[in-house]
Amino acid sequence: MASIALNNLVKEFGETRVLHSIDLDIKDGEFVVFVGPSGCGKSTTLRMVAGLESVSSGEIRIGDREVSGLAPKDRGISMVFQDYALYPHMTVRKNLGFGLKVSGTPAAEITQKVDEAAKMLGLEQLLDRKPKQLSGGQRQRVAMGRAIVRSPEVYLFDEPLSNLDAKLRTQMRSEIKRLHKKVRNTIIYVTHDQIEAMTMADRIVVMRGGHIEQVGTPSELFKSPANVFVATFIGSPPMAMVDGEIVKDGASPMFQAANGPLLPIPARLRDKVKVGQKVFYGIRSDSFSPVGHSLPRAGEVHQMSCTVDHVEPLGAETLISVALGNSTVLSKMFNPTEVDVDETRAFELELDACYLFDKGTEQSLDL
Amino acid sequence: MNDIYKPPLWPMLLIGVVSLIWVLPLIGIIMTSIRPEGETLKGWWNIEEFTLTLEAWREVWVNYPLWDALWNSIKIAGLSSLGSILLAPMGAYAFAFLNFPGKKVTFLLLVNAFVIPNQILIIPLFTLWRNVGLIDNIFSVIIPFVALSMAWAVFLVRNYLVDFPRSLIDAAHIDGCGHVRTFWSVVLPNALTPMAAVGILQFMWTWNSLMLPMLFLRENIPLPVLLTKIKGTYEPNWDQVAVATIITSVIPLLIFLYFQKYFAAGASNQSGQKG
Repeated sequence: MASIALNNLVKEFGETRVLHSIDLDIKDGEFVVFVGPSGCGKSTTLRMVAGLESVSSGEIRIGDREVSGLAPKDRGISMVFQDYALYPHMTVRKNLGFGLKVSGTPAAEITQKVDEAAKMLGLEQLLDRKPKQLSGGQRQRVAMGRAIVRSPEVYLFDEPLSNLDAKLRTQMRSEIKRLHKKVRNTIIYVTHDQIEAMTMADRIVVMRGGHIEQVGTPSELFKSPANVFVATFIGSPPMAMVDGEIVKDGASPMFQAANGPLLPIPARLRDKVKVGQKVFYGIRSDSFSPVGHSLPRAGEVHQMSCTVDHVEPLGAETLISVALGNSTVLSKMFNPTEVDVDETRAFELELDACYLFDKGTEQSLDL
Repeated sequence: MNDIYKPPLWPMLLIGVVSLIWVLPLIGIIMTSIRPEGETLKGWWNIEEFTLTLEAWREVWVNYPLWDALWNSIKIAGLSSLGSILLAPMGAYAFAFLNFPGKKVTFLLLVNAFVIPNQILIIPLFTLWRNVGLIDNIFSVIIPFVALSMAWAVFLVRNYLVDFPRSLIDAAHIDGCGHVRTFWSVVLPNALTPMAAVGILQFMWTWNSLMLPMLFLRENIPLPVLLTKIKGTYEPNWDQVAVATIITSVIPLLIFLYFQKYFAAGASNQSGQKG
């Protein structure tokens, strides 16, 4: 078991800097997910922790050791790869035991540990097969077994579920989560899928362009996104950003959507805005519903009438897009009834669940 | 009869003719080897007289050290092929997966050895072997055979390894392998295809080569050199030469037939990835 600390971590490929001074502390036993679009540096960071990629500057500490100069095998880590990377010429049993064999573990102990891991993952029947005789999900399990067998201090997962179909992915998600509960080791898990991040992580690290955008628990990221990127990346469907500016309307400031309606500003933010400030007004579909089809709202609610642009019935709920000025906003209709395109309906907006972001810096005004 | 699809006749005929052209010399050699020399002097296809005799086979067997030459050929071609099969992947691994200063230049130099003709090396090599006392030792030909093969063999294996799944190498490093162990336990078992290709090509080449063995070997000669001795200055001995030719070409043919499946195996056994 070990904590991990990344201090001022920088990675350069020639002239190109792909990681800009990453600082992160990961607690012992924590399940941390790195999430971000491709090319954001999440996999590079993971590979640097693994020792597969050299460190340009800064340090990586696992436990109380500085490991950036050590070989992967001396770091107390094991890794699960996106394409599983099972050795094609070895049986499942040999694949699982290879790491132990390399480290000179006695054969009897290897057999015992391999059997244990196989039992834990339900692989007993498959031990004598070759990887090409396994299905995608089974290969995934063998890859995890190979990581478990070496009983490392830290597990590293590099997009392990992206080659599986949707159903298997959901199933493996809960298996990995259960595995974590059982072994209680530190895990770093890289994915581009925000749902995986939300469902599995103790803490999420959102990355973009070699920077960390925000670190927090799934609900922190959902409830108080630090900037436009995190707000639109976390949550599905993504938060809509309405373009506009702050205007003075009587005593209190209001939000004027570009070519659109006037919206009240959430009470908590009224003191933080300046008249004339260009902002994005962030609206999640859950907090914007047709009147009579919303969740019970505790706080202040604003009603307005809008014209329906587009309808997507999903069964349990219906997604309605409406135009607010130049921007399109998604509305979630609970207990859905028939909705027609071009119909004008009354919608209600839960103000406390809305966000304002400065248009220049893209930072949340809550901060 | 409703014939839904009737294949056209002309491809069959064309293939037949081409095959005949390819097979004719072989038939000629066999015919020459089983008839008295006098009968075939006007051409082996001349069958005014046809006497079946194995005299030439007996003559060659009795008069020439055929077994010794065969054994020498096997040793020379076998060891040269083994050397190339083992050494080429090592070089290829380094060029494909390691970073070291001067990598590009070294690779260019190595591949450029392609264009160096063997003939240039003969005199310096001869001097060298004479000085170290390797003349008439089969290693005087095996060493240059292996060395000269590196240019194309390393190139061939490296091109295969460039497409080798990188994550397997990463996984091996995570599992605690250094480069040597990664090469031996992970890369080599999954690179049988290019190794077989190198082996077959090198075997054919060294089995049939004449010049270096003729110059560097005295007693320990392989089959092709023996072949030149059968064909005397004043007597052509066509029937006996035919026999020796058949014996010389049978072994590479068998080896090729056995190993060709590795060519076809291709990339299908690459990794555990989903196709």
